[in-house]
Amino acid sequence: METLRQILAPDFLLRNSVYTSVLIGFACPLVGVFLVLRRLVFMGVALPQISSTGVAIALCVPMWLGILQPEHALHSEHLLAYAGSTVFSLSAILVLAFLDRRRRGLPEGRLGSAYVVAAALSILLLSKNRYSEVGWLDLMKGEIITVDNVDLALTGAALAVVVVALALFHRELLLVSFDRAMAATLGKNVVAWDALLYLLIGLTVSMAVLSVGPLIAFGFLLIPALTAHLFAANMRQLTVFASLLGGAVSFVGFCIAYRYDLPVGPADVVLLGVIYSLAFLARKMVRLNRGGGGPRLP
Amino acid sequence: MSEPFITLDNLAIGYDSQPVLSGISLSIPRGSFTAILGANGSGKSTLLKTLLGLQPPIAGGIRFSAPAGAAPVFGYVPQATQFDPLYLVTGYDVALMGVYGRVGPGRLVPQSERAFVRECLQATGAEEFARQRFAELSGGQKQRVLIARALATKPNILVLDEPTAGVDAAATQALLAFISQVHEERRLTILLVTHDLHLVRHHAQQVIWLHQGTVRTGTAAELLRPEHLAEVLDIEVGG
Repeated sequence: METLRQILAPDFLLRNSVYTSVLIGFACPLVGVFLVLRRLVFMGVALPQISSTGVAIALCVPMWLGILQPEHALHSEHLLAYAGSTVFSLSAILVLAFLDRRRRGLPEGRLGSAYVVAAALSILLLSKNRYSEVGWLDLMKGEIITVDNVDLALTGAALAVVVVALALFHRELLLVSFDRAMAATLGKNVVAWDALLYLLIGLTVSMAVLSVGPLIAFGFLLIPALTAHLFAANMRQLTVFASLLGGAVSFVGFCIAYRYDLPVGPADVVLLGVIYSLAFLARKMVRLNRGGGGPRLP
Repeated sequence: MSEPFITLDNLAIGYDSQPVLSGISLSIPRGSFTAILGANGSGKSTLLKTLLGLQPPIAGGIRFSAPAGAAPVFGYVPQATQFDPLYLVTGYDVALMGVYGRVGPGRLVPQSERAFVRECLQATGAEEFARQRFAELSGGQKQRVLIARALATKPNILVLDEPTAGVDAAATQALLAFISQVHEERRLTILLVTHDLHLVRHHAQQVIWLHQGTVRTGTAAELLRPEHLAEVLDIEVGG
Protein backbone atom coordinates (compact mmCIF):
# COMPACT_ATOMS: atom_id res chain seq x y z
CA MET A 1 0.00 0.00 0.00
CA GLU A 2 2.88 2.31 0.83
CA THR A 3 4.35 1.69 -2.65
CA LEU A 4 0.99 2.47 -4.24
CA ARG A 5 0.67 5.66 -2.18
CA GLN A 6 4.12 6.78 -3.30
CA ILE A 7 3.45 6.06 -6.97
CA LEU A 8 0.08 7.84 -6.94
CA ALA A 9 1.47 10.89 -5.15
CA PRO A 10 1.36 14.04 -7.38
CA ASP A 11 5.04 14.75 -6.76
CA PHE A 12 6.21 11.21 -7.57
CA LEU A 13 9.49 11.58 -9.44
CA LEU A 14 8.74 8.87 -12.01
CA ARG A 15 5.12 9.79 -12.62
CA ASN A 16 5.72 10.43 -16.34
CA SER A 17 7.17 6.94 -16.60
CA VAL A 18 4.03 5.51 -14.99
CA TYR A 19 1.77 7.44 -17.38
CA THR A 20 3.84 6.40 -20.41
CA SER A 21 3.92 2.78 -19.35
CA VAL A 22 0.15 2.69 -18.84
CA LEU A 23 -0.51 4.47 -22.16
CA ILE A 24 1.63 1.91 -23.99
CA GLY A 25 -0.08 -0.86 -22.04
CA PHE A 26 -3.50 0.32 -23.18
CA ALA A 27 -2.58 1.09 -26.81
CA CYS A 28 -0.33 -1.81 -27.88
CA PRO A 29 -3.00 -4.52 -27.45
CA LEU A 30 -5.43 -2.53 -29.62
CA VAL A 31 -3.20 -3.03 -32.66
CA GLY A 32 -1.86 -6.35 -31.32
CA VAL A 33 -5.37 -7.80 -31.76
CA PHE A 34 -5.05 -7.24 -35.52
CA LEU A 35 -1.56 -8.78 -35.61
CA VAL A 36 -2.89 -11.88 -33.87
CA LEU A 37 -6.06 -12.15 -36.00
CA ARG A 38 -4.08 -11.68 -39.22
CA ARG A 39 -1.57 -14.28 -37.96
CA LEU A 40 1.24 -11.73 -38.19
CA VAL A 41 2.70 -12.50 -34.78
CA PHE A 42 6.21 -12.76 -36.22
CA MET A 43 5.81 -9.24 -37.53
CA GLY A 44 5.15 -8.24 -33.93
CA VAL A 45 8.62 -9.58 -33.03
CA ALA A 46 10.49 -8.16 -35.99
CA LEU A 47 8.91 -4.73 -36.06
CA PRO A 48 9.93 -3.52 -32.57
CA GLN A 49 13.47 -4.77 -33.20
CA ILE A 50 13.67 -2.92 -36.52
CA SER A 51 12.25 0.15 -34.83
CA SER A 52 14.91 0.07 -32.12
CA THR A 53 17.58 -0.33 -34.79
CA GLY A 54 16.10 2.77 -36.40
CA VAL A 55 16.64 4.60 -33.12
CA ALA A 56 20.24 3.43 -32.99
CA ILE A 57 20.92 4.48 -36.57
CA ALA A 58 19.26 7.86 -36.04
CA LEU A 59 21.44 8.47 -32.98
CA CYS A 60 24.72 7.19 -34.41
CA VAL A 61 24.88 8.18 -38.06
CA PRO A 62 24.63 11.99 -37.61
CA MET A 63 27.51 11.85 -35.12
CA TRP A 64 29.65 9.73 -37.43
CA LEU A 65 28.98 12.11 -40.27
CA GLY A 66 29.93 15.03 -38.05
CA ILE A 67 26.53 16.66 -38.43
CA LEU A 68 25.94 16.35 -34.71
CA GLN A 69 28.59 16.75 -31.99
CA PRO A 70 28.28 14.53 -28.89
CA GLU A 71 28.24 17.54 -26.56
CA HIS A 72 25.19 18.93 -28.35
CA ALA A 73 23.51 15.59 -28.93
CA LEU A 74 21.40 15.61 -25.76
CA HIS A 75 19.10 18.31 -27.12
CA SER A 76 18.57 16.56 -30.41
CA GLU A 77 18.63 12.93 -29.38
CA HIS A 78 14.96 12.58 -28.47
CA LEU A 79 13.84 14.11 -31.73
CA LEU A 80 16.25 11.92 -33.66
CA ALA A 81 15.09 8.85 -31.75
CA TYR A 82 11.44 9.59 -32.56
CA ALA A 83 12.28 10.17 -36.20
CA GLY A 84 14.41 7.02 -36.49
CA SER A 85 11.90 4.82 -34.74
CA THR A 86 8.90 6.11 -36.70
CA VAL A 87 10.59 6.07 -40.13
CA PHE A 88 11.99 2.56 -39.66
CA SER A 89 8.77 1.13 -38.18
CA LEU A 90 6.54 2.53 -40.90
CA SER A 91 8.93 1.65 -43.73
CA ALA A 92 9.47 -1.86 -42.44
CA ILE A 93 5.80 -2.66 -41.92
CA LEU A 94 4.82 -1.32 -45.33
CA VAL A 95 7.57 -3.29 -47.10
CA LEU A 96 6.90 -6.49 -45.14
CA ALA A 97 3.14 -6.19 -45.66
CA PHE A 98 3.63 -5.59 -49.38
CA LEU A 99 5.82 -8.69 -49.69
CA ASP A 100 3.33 -10.68 -47.63
CA ARG A 101 0.47 -9.65 -49.93
CA ARG A 102 2.41 -10.87 -52.97
CA ARG A 103 2.44 -14.31 -51.31
CA ARG A 104 5.89 -15.18 -52.61
CA GLY A 105 8.72 -16.78 -50.71
CA LEU A 106 8.60 -17.68 -47.04
CA PRO A 107 7.07 -14.91 -44.87
CA GLU A 108 8.45 -16.39 -41.63
CA GLY A 109 11.90 -16.49 -43.23
CA ARG A 110 11.70 -12.82 -44.22
CA LEU A 111 10.54 -11.76 -40.78
CA GLY A 112 13.10 -13.95 -39.02
CA SER A 113 15.89 -12.55 -41.19
CA ALA A 114 14.70 -8.97 -40.64
CA TYR A 115 14.63 -9.58 -36.88
CA VAL A 116 18.06 -11.14 -36.58
CA VAL A 117 19.77 -8.67 -38.93
CA ALA A 118 18.17 -5.73 -37.11
CA ALA A 119 19.25 -7.13 -33.73
CA ALA A 120 22.82 -7.74 -34.95
CA LEU A 121 22.99 -4.28 -36.49
CA SER A 122 21.88 -2.76 -33.21
CA ILE A 123 24.70 -4.51 -31.36
CA LEU A 124 27.24 -3.36 -33.96
CA LEU A 125 26.06 0.23 -33.68
CA LEU A 126 26.10 0.01 -29.90
CA SER A 127 29.66 -1.29 -29.87
CA LYS A 128 30.85 1.70 -31.90
CA ASN A 129 28.99 4.44 -30.03
CA ARG A 130 29.94 4.82 -26.40
CA TYR A 131 27.97 8.01 -26.07
CA SER A 132 24.61 6.37 -26.64
CA GLU A 133 25.54 3.13 -24.91
CA VAL A 134 23.97 3.70 -21.52
CA GLY A 135 20.67 5.11 -22.73
CA TRP A 136 20.45 2.51 -25.41
CA LEU A 137 21.01 -0.35 -22.99
CA ASP A 138 18.21 1.03 -20.84
CA LEU A 139 15.97 1.02 -23.89
CA MET A 140 16.85 -2.59 -24.72
CA LYS A 141 16.22 -3.67 -21.11
CA GLY A 142 12.94 -1.83 -20.90
CA GLU A 143 13.98 0.65 -18.22
CA ILE A 144 11.36 3.40 -18.23
CA ILE A 145 13.10 6.04 -16.21
CA THR A 146 13.67 9.21 -18.15
CA VAL A 147 10.43 10.45 -19.67
CA ASP A 148 10.11 14.23 -19.77
CA ASN A 149 6.87 16.13 -20.33
CA VAL A 150 7.51 16.60 -24.04
CA ASP A 151 8.09 12.87 -24.56
CA LEU A 152 4.96 12.07 -22.60
CA ALA A 153 2.89 14.55 -24.60
CA LEU A 154 4.26 13.24 -27.88
CA THR A 155 3.57 9.64 -26.93
CA GLY A 156 0.11 10.52 -25.65
CA ALA A 157 -0.77 12.45 -28.81
CA ALA A 158 0.45 9.69 -31.13
CA LEU A 159 -1.40 6.99 -29.23
CA ALA A 160 -4.54 9.15 -29.10
CA VAL A 161 -4.44 9.32 -32.91
CA VAL A 162 -4.14 5.52 -33.02
CA VAL A 163 -7.03 4.97 -30.61
CA VAL A 164 -9.34 7.45 -32.37
CA ALA A 165 -8.54 6.01 -35.82
CA LEU A 166 -9.14 2.46 -34.60
CA ALA A 167 -12.43 3.45 -32.98
CA LEU A 168 -13.65 5.32 -36.07
CA PHE A 169 -12.58 2.76 -38.65
CA HIS A 170 -12.74 -0.50 -36.71
CA ARG A 171 -15.54 -1.81 -38.94
CA GLU A 172 -13.59 -1.26 -42.18
CA LEU A 173 -10.33 -2.59 -40.71
CA LEU A 174 -12.11 -5.70 -39.47
CA LEU A 175 -13.80 -6.24 -42.84
CA VAL A 176 -10.58 -6.07 -44.88
CA SER A 177 -8.88 -8.35 -42.34
CA PHE A 178 -11.71 -10.91 -42.22
CA ASP A 179 -12.76 -10.99 -45.88
CA ARG A 180 -10.64 -8.96 -48.27
CA ALA A 181 -12.49 -10.13 -51.38
CA MET A 182 -15.86 -9.14 -49.94
CA ALA A 183 -14.48 -5.73 -49.01
CA ALA A 184 -13.28 -5.22 -52.59
CA THR A 185 -16.67 -6.21 -54.07
CA LEU A 186 -18.29 -3.65 -51.75
CA GLY A 187 -16.13 -0.97 -53.34
CA LYS A 188 -13.77 -0.58 -50.39
CA ASN A 189 -10.21 0.43 -51.23
CA VAL A 190 -8.57 -2.53 -49.53
CA VAL A 191 -5.02 -1.34 -50.22
CA ALA A 192 -5.75 2.02 -48.55
CA TRP A 193 -7.39 0.37 -45.51
CA ASP A 194 -4.51 -2.07 -45.19
CA ALA A 195 -2.07 0.82 -45.42
CA LEU A 196 -3.95 2.69 -42.68
CA LEU A 197 -3.87 -0.34 -40.39
CA TYR A 198 -0.15 -0.83 -40.98
CA LEU A 199 0.51 2.86 -40.35
CA LEU A 200 -1.35 2.65 -37.04
CA ILE A 201 0.59 -0.50 -36.08
CA GLY A 202 3.87 1.14 -37.11
CA LEU A 203 3.12 4.32 -35.17
CA THR A 204 2.17 2.38 -32.03
CA VAL A 205 5.24 0.18 -32.26
CA SER A 206 7.59 3.14 -32.74
CA MET A 207 6.13 4.94 -29.71
CA ALA A 208 6.24 1.75 -27.64
CA VAL A 209 9.83 0.96 -28.57
CA LEU A 210 10.99 4.44 -27.60
CA SER A 211 9.23 4.22 -24.26
CA VAL A 212 9.62 0.60 -23.18
CA GLY A 213 12.02 -1.06 -25.65
CA PRO A 214 11.52 -3.76 -28.30
CA LEU A 215 11.09 -6.80 -26.05
CA ILE A 216 8.42 -5.21 -23.91
CA ALA A 217 6.67 -3.68 -26.92
CA PHE A 218 6.35 -7.17 -28.41
CA GLY A 219 5.04 -8.51 -25.10
CA PHE A 220 2.30 -5.87 -24.99
CA LEU A 221 1.43 -6.39 -28.65
CA LEU A 222 0.99 -10.13 -28.27
CA ILE A 223 0.17 -11.43 -24.79
CA PRO A 224 -2.87 -9.29 -23.85
CA ALA A 225 -4.54 -10.14 -27.19
CA LEU A 226 -3.84 -13.86 -26.72
CA THR A 227 -5.11 -13.80 -23.13
CA ALA A 228 -8.28 -11.88 -24.01
CA HIS A 229 -8.94 -14.29 -26.89
CA LEU A 230 -9.32 -17.11 -24.38
CA PHE A 231 -12.39 -15.55 -22.82
CA ALA A 232 -13.84 -12.93 -25.16
CA ALA A 233 -17.18 -13.68 -26.81
CA ASN A 234 -16.96 -11.12 -29.61
CA MET A 235 -14.60 -8.68 -31.26
CA ARG A 236 -15.56 -5.78 -29.01
CA GLN A 237 -14.85 -7.79 -25.87
CA LEU A 238 -11.56 -9.01 -27.37
CA THR A 239 -10.39 -5.46 -28.03
CA VAL A 240 -11.58 -4.00 -24.71
CA PHE A 241 -10.34 -6.92 -22.56
CA ALA A 242 -6.92 -6.90 -24.24
CA SER A 243 -6.52 -3.15 -23.83
CA LEU A 244 -7.67 -3.14 -20.19
CA LEU A 245 -5.40 -6.05 -19.39
CA GLY A 246 -2.42 -4.30 -20.99
CA GLY A 247 -3.10 -1.05 -19.12
CA ALA A 248 -3.69 -2.77 -15.77
CA VAL A 249 -0.61 -4.99 -16.04
CA SER A 250 1.61 -2.07 -17.00
CA PHE A 251 0.54 -0.26 -13.82
CA VAL A 252 0.81 -3.29 -11.52
CA GLY A 253 4.12 -4.23 -13.15
CA PHE A 254 5.44 -0.75 -12.47
CA CYS A 255 4.41 -1.02 -8.82
CA ILE A 256 6.14 -4.41 -8.46
CA ALA A 257 9.28 -3.14 -10.21
CA TYR A 258 9.37 -0.04 -8.02
CA ARG A 259 8.76 -2.00 -4.83
CA TYR A 260 11.44 -4.62 -5.52
CA ASP A 261 13.85 -2.41 -7.52
CA LEU A 262 13.47 -4.35 -10.77
CA PRO A 263 13.51 -3.17 -14.39
CA VAL A 264 9.93 -2.17 -15.26
CA GLY A 265 9.55 -3.67 -18.73
CA PRO A 266 10.64 -7.22 -17.93
CA ALA A 267 8.47 -7.12 -14.78
CA ASP A 268 5.47 -6.21 -16.98
CA VAL A 269 6.13 -8.98 -19.49
CA VAL A 270 6.68 -11.67 -16.87
CA LEU A 271 3.45 -10.60 -15.19
CA LEU A 272 1.63 -10.80 -18.55
CA GLY A 273 3.10 -14.27 -19.08
CA VAL A 274 1.94 -15.46 -15.66
CA ILE A 275 -1.57 -14.12 -16.28
CA TYR A 276 -1.70 -15.74 -19.73
CA SER A 277 -0.59 -19.11 -18.31
CA LEU A 278 -3.19 -18.95 -15.51
CA ALA A 279 -5.90 -17.87 -17.95
CA PHE A 280 -4.98 -20.70 -20.31
CA LEU A 281 -5.22 -23.25 -17.51
CA ALA A 282 -8.50 -21.77 -16.28
CA ARG A 283 -9.91 -21.93 -19.79
CA LYS A 284 -8.82 -25.57 -20.12
CA MET A 285 -10.54 -26.44 -16.87
CA VAL A 286 -13.73 -24.65 -17.89
CA ARG A 287 -13.74 -26.49 -21.22
CA LEU A 288 -13.11 -29.84 -19.54
CA ASN A 289 -15.99 -29.21 -17.16
CA ARG A 290 -18.27 -28.24 -20.04
CA GLY A 291 -16.98 -31.03 -22.27
CA GLY A 292 -16.26 -28.97 -25.39
CA GLY A 293 -15.60 -25.54 -26.74
CA GLY A 294 -15.06 -23.49 -29.83
CA PRO A 295 -12.01 -22.82 -31.94
CA ARG A 296 -9.17 -21.35 -29.95
CA LEU A 297 -5.61 -20.41 -30.44
CA PRO A 298 -3.21 -23.29 -29.97
CA MET B 1 -33.98 -15.06 -72.05
CA SER B 2 -33.55 -11.28 -71.69
CA GLU B 3 -30.77 -8.96 -72.92
CA PRO B 4 -27.09 -9.55 -72.04
CA PHE B 5 -26.18 -8.33 -68.56
CA ILE B 6 -22.48 -9.23 -68.62
CA THR B 7 -20.52 -9.28 -71.86
CA LEU B 8 -16.97 -10.60 -72.04
CA ASP B 9 -15.19 -9.26 -75.09
CA ASN B 10 -12.09 -11.18 -76.18
CA LEU B 11 -11.08 -11.39 -72.53
CA ALA B 12 -7.74 -12.82 -71.40
CA ILE B 13 -7.39 -13.67 -67.72
CA GLY B 14 -4.44 -14.78 -65.61
CA TYR B 15 -1.76 -13.61 -63.21
CA ASP B 16 1.36 -11.50 -63.79
CA SER B 17 0.65 -11.20 -67.54
CA GLN B 18 0.58 -15.02 -67.81
CA PRO B 19 -2.80 -15.92 -69.31
CA VAL B 20 -4.74 -18.84 -67.88
CA LEU B 21 -7.50 -18.38 -70.43
CA SER B 22 -7.68 -16.07 -73.41
CA GLY B 23 -10.04 -15.09 -76.20
CA ILE B 24 -13.13 -15.43 -74.00
CA SER B 25 -16.13 -13.84 -75.71
CA LEU B 26 -19.53 -14.59 -74.30
CA SER B 27 -22.54 -12.97 -72.72
CA ILE B 28 -24.55 -13.75 -69.61
CA PRO B 29 -28.23 -12.79 -69.86
CA ARG B 30 -29.93 -10.69 -67.20
CA GLY B 31 -31.81 -12.85 -64.73
CA SER B 32 -30.14 -16.08 -65.88
CA PHE B 33 -28.80 -18.90 -63.72
CA THR B 34 -25.37 -19.69 -65.11
CA ALA B 35 -23.04 -22.40 -63.87
CA ILE B 36 -19.29 -22.24 -64.38
CA LEU B 37 -17.79 -25.73 -64.64
CA GLY B 38 -14.25 -26.96 -65.06
CA ALA B 39 -11.55 -29.10 -63.55
CA ASN B 40 -9.25 -27.82 -60.81
CA GLY B 41 -6.81 -25.32 -62.34
CA SER B 42 -9.01 -24.70 -65.38
CA GLY B 43 -9.41 -21.01 -64.49
CA LYS B 44 -12.82 -20.95 -62.77
CA SER B 45 -11.61 -18.98 -59.76
CA THR B 46 -9.53 -16.64 -61.95
CA LEU B 47 -12.57 -15.93 -64.13
CA LEU B 48 -14.67 -15.29 -61.05
CA LYS B 49 -12.07 -12.95 -59.53
CA THR B 50 -11.81 -11.06 -62.80
CA LEU B 51 -15.58 -10.66 -63.05
CA LEU B 52 -15.69 -9.42 -59.45
CA GLY B 53 -12.95 -6.90 -60.16
CA LEU B 54 -10.52 -8.55 -57.74
CA GLN B 55 -8.10 -9.38 -60.54
CA PRO B 56 -7.46 -7.11 -63.56
CA PRO B 57 -7.92 -8.69 -66.99
CA ILE B 58 -4.77 -9.20 -69.07
CA ALA B 59 -6.55 -8.17 -72.27
CA GLY B 60 -10.04 -7.53 -73.55
CA GLY B 61 -12.87 -6.17 -71.46
CA ILE B 62 -15.97 -6.81 -69.41
CA ARG B 63 -19.15 -4.77 -69.95
CA PHE B 64 -22.02 -4.66 -67.51
CA SER B 65 -25.38 -3.23 -68.53
CA ALA B 66 -26.66 -2.39 -65.07
CA PRO B 67 -29.85 -0.32 -64.75
CA ALA B 68 -29.39 3.39 -65.47
CA GLY B 69 -25.71 2.82 -66.19
CA ALA B 70 -25.01 2.20 -62.50
CA ALA B 71 -22.14 -0.04 -61.50
CA PRO B 72 -23.29 -3.62 -60.87
CA VAL B 73 -23.65 -4.70 -57.26
CA PHE B 74 -22.19 -8.14 -56.61
CA GLY B 75 -23.51 -10.37 -53.89
CA TYR B 76 -20.43 -12.52 -53.40
CA VAL B 77 -20.70 -15.86 -51.62
CA PRO B 78 -17.19 -17.29 -51.10
CA GLN B 79 -16.37 -20.77 -49.88
CA ALA B 80 -17.25 -21.02 -46.20
CA THR B 81 -14.04 -22.91 -45.43
CA GLN B 82 -11.83 -19.90 -46.23
CA PHE B 83 -12.61 -17.95 -43.06
CA ASP B 84 -10.19 -17.94 -40.17
CA PRO B 85 -11.87 -19.27 -37.01
CA LEU B 86 -9.82 -16.86 -34.88
CA TYR B 87 -12.23 -14.02 -35.64
CA LEU B 88 -14.81 -13.75 -32.88
CA VAL B 89 -17.72 -12.88 -35.14
CA THR B 90 -21.26 -14.22 -35.03
CA GLY B 91 -23.39 -15.14 -38.02
CA TYR B 92 -25.17 -11.79 -37.58
CA ASP B 93 -21.84 -9.90 -37.58
CA VAL B 94 -20.90 -11.61 -40.84
CA ALA B 95 -24.27 -10.91 -42.46
CA LEU B 96 -24.08 -7.28 -41.30
CA MET B 97 -20.93 -6.85 -43.44
CA GLY B 98 -23.25 -6.95 -46.44
CA VAL B 99 -24.49 -3.42 -45.73
CA TYR B 100 -21.03 -1.90 -45.15
CA GLY B 101 -20.90 -0.77 -48.79
CA ARG B 102 -23.79 1.63 -48.06
CA VAL B 103 -22.47 2.94 -44.73
CA GLY B 104 -19.66 5.48 -44.83
CA PRO B 105 -16.49 5.05 -42.76
CA GLY B 106 -16.87 6.19 -39.17
CA ARG B 107 -20.69 6.15 -39.29
CA LEU B 108 -22.96 3.88 -37.29
CA VAL B 109 -24.96 1.26 -39.15
CA PRO B 110 -28.55 2.63 -39.18
CA GLN B 111 -31.33 0.64 -37.50
CA SER B 112 -33.08 0.27 -40.87
CA GLU B 113 -30.03 -1.53 -42.29
CA ARG B 114 -29.82 -3.76 -39.23
CA ALA B 115 -33.47 -4.66 -39.65
CA PHE B 116 -32.82 -5.42 -43.33
CA VAL B 117 -29.98 -7.78 -42.38
CA ARG B 118 -32.33 -9.60 -40.00
CA GLU B 119 -34.79 -9.94 -42.88
CA CYS B 120 -32.07 -11.42 -45.06
CA LEU B 121 -31.11 -13.88 -42.32
CA GLN B 122 -34.77 -14.79 -41.96
CA ALA B 123 -35.11 -15.27 -45.73
CA THR B 124 -32.17 -17.69 -45.78
CA GLY B 125 -33.38 -19.56 -42.71
CA ALA B 126 -30.28 -18.46 -40.80
CA GLU B 127 -31.97 -16.34 -38.14
CA GLU B 128 -32.10 -19.03 -35.46
CA PHE B 129 -28.33 -19.60 -35.45
CA ALA B 130 -27.25 -16.06 -36.40
CA ARG B 131 -26.23 -15.26 -32.80
CA GLN B 132 -23.84 -18.20 -32.65
CA ARG B 133 -20.14 -17.87 -33.40
CA PHE B 134 -19.67 -18.11 -37.19
CA ALA B 135 -16.71 -20.48 -36.84
CA GLU B 136 -18.87 -22.93 -34.87
CA LEU B 137 -21.64 -23.22 -37.47
CA SER B 138 -21.94 -26.22 -39.80
CA GLY B 139 -20.95 -25.87 -43.46
CA GLY B 140 -24.58 -25.52 -44.57
CA GLN B 141 -25.35 -22.96 -41.85
CA LYS B 142 -22.30 -20.89 -42.80
CA GLN B 143 -23.40 -20.87 -46.43
CA ARG B 144 -26.86 -19.64 -45.45
CA VAL B 145 -25.28 -16.81 -43.46
CA LEU B 146 -23.01 -15.94 -46.39
CA ILE B 147 -25.97 -15.93 -48.78
CA ALA B 148 -27.83 -13.65 -46.33
CA ARG B 149 -24.78 -11.37 -46.36
CA ALA B 150 -24.75 -11.38 -50.16
CA LEU B 151 -28.48 -10.53 -50.25
CA ALA B 152 -27.89 -7.72 -47.77
CA THR B 153 -25.73 -5.98 -50.40
CA LYS B 154 -28.95 -5.60 -52.48
CA PRO B 155 -27.16 -7.20 -55.41
CA ASN B 156 -28.12 -7.52 -59.03
CA ILE B 157 -25.69 -10.42 -59.48
CA LEU B 158 -25.28 -13.23 -56.97
CA VAL B 159 -21.89 -14.92 -57.37
CA LEU B 160 -21.43 -18.22 -55.55
CA ASP B 161 -17.99 -19.88 -55.42
CA GLU B 162 -18.49 -23.60 -54.79
CA PRO B 163 -21.13 -23.01 -52.11
CA THR B 164 -21.63 -26.72 -51.51
CA ALA B 165 -17.97 -27.51 -50.75
CA GLY B 166 -17.85 -29.20 -47.36
CA VAL B 167 -21.65 -29.33 -47.13
CA ASP B 168 -23.47 -32.66 -46.68
CA ALA B 169 -25.83 -34.01 -49.36
CA ALA B 170 -29.09 -33.03 -47.66
CA ALA B 171 -27.88 -29.50 -46.94
CA THR B 172 -26.58 -29.19 -50.51
CA GLN B 173 -30.03 -29.98 -51.94
CA ALA B 174 -31.68 -27.54 -49.55
CA LEU B 175 -29.13 -24.83 -50.34
CA LEU B 176 -29.52 -25.10 -54.11
CA ALA B 177 -33.29 -25.23 -53.81
CA PHE B 178 -33.07 -22.00 -51.85
CA ILE B 179 -30.76 -20.37 -54.39
CA SER B 180 -33.16 -21.35 -57.17
CA GLN B 181 -36.03 -19.87 -55.16
CA VAL B 182 -34.12 -16.59 -54.73
CA HIS B 183 -33.40 -16.61 -58.45
CA GLU B 184 -37.06 -17.08 -59.31
CA GLU B 185 -38.47 -14.60 -56.78
CA ARG B 186 -35.94 -11.77 -57.13
CA ARG B 187 -35.02 -12.28 -60.78
CA LEU B 188 -31.38 -12.11 -59.78
CA THR B 189 -28.61 -13.02 -62.18
CA ILE B 190 -26.85 -16.02 -60.64
CA LEU B 191 -23.30 -17.17 -61.33
CA LEU B 192 -22.50 -20.47 -59.68
CA VAL B 193 -19.06 -22.09 -59.68
CA THR B 194 -19.34 -25.79 -58.92
CA HIS B 195 -18.05 -29.28 -59.68
CA ASP B 196 -21.45 -30.85 -59.10
CA LEU B 197 -22.96 -31.81 -62.48
CA HIS B 198 -26.11 -33.10 -60.82
CA LEU B 199 -26.84 -29.69 -59.32
CA VAL B 200 -26.09 -27.95 -62.60
CA ARG B 201 -28.49 -30.24 -64.46
CA HIS B 202 -31.30 -29.46 -62.04
CA HIS B 203 -30.81 -25.75 -61.42
CA ALA B 204 -28.72 -23.98 -64.09
CA GLN B 205 -30.03 -22.65 -67.38
CA GLN B 206 -26.70 -21.80 -68.97
CA VAL B 207 -23.29 -23.40 -68.56
CA ILE B 208 -19.81 -22.01 -69.09
CA TRP B 209 -17.41 -24.92 -69.25
CA LEU B 210 -13.69 -24.26 -68.98
CA HIS B 211 -11.73 -27.11 -70.45
CA GLN B 212 -8.01 -27.28 -71.34
CA GLY B 213 -7.72 -23.58 -72.14
CA THR B 214 -10.99 -23.41 -74.08
CA VAL B 215 -14.35 -21.99 -73.08
CA ARG B 216 -17.56 -23.69 -74.15
CA THR B 217 -20.95 -22.16 -73.54
CA GLY B 218 -24.44 -23.49 -74.01
CA THR B 219 -27.53 -24.52 -72.17
CA ALA B 220 -27.27 -27.07 -69.38
CA ALA B 221 -29.09 -29.59 -71.55
CA GLU B 222 -26.59 -29.13 -74.41
CA LEU B 223 -23.38 -29.29 -72.43
CA LEU B 224 -24.46 -32.08 -70.12
CA ARG B 225 -25.26 -34.45 -72.98
CA PRO B 226 -23.50 -37.79 -72.44
CA GLU B 227 -21.42 -37.36 -75.62
CA HIS B 228 -20.13 -33.97 -74.52
CA LEU B 229 -19.46 -35.20 -71.02
CA ALA B 230 -17.53 -38.16 -72.43
CA GLU B 231 -15.40 -35.84 -74.53
CA VAL B 232 -14.68 -33.37 -71.76
CA LEU B 233 -14.23 -35.88 -68.97
CA ASP B 234 -12.39 -38.32 -71.22
CA ILE B 235 -14.62 -41.28 -70.39
CA GLU B 236 -16.45 -43.83 -72.45
CA VAL B 237 -20.20 -43.57 -72.70
CA GLY B 238 -21.84 -46.92 -72.05
CA GLY B 239 -24.46 -48.56 -74.38
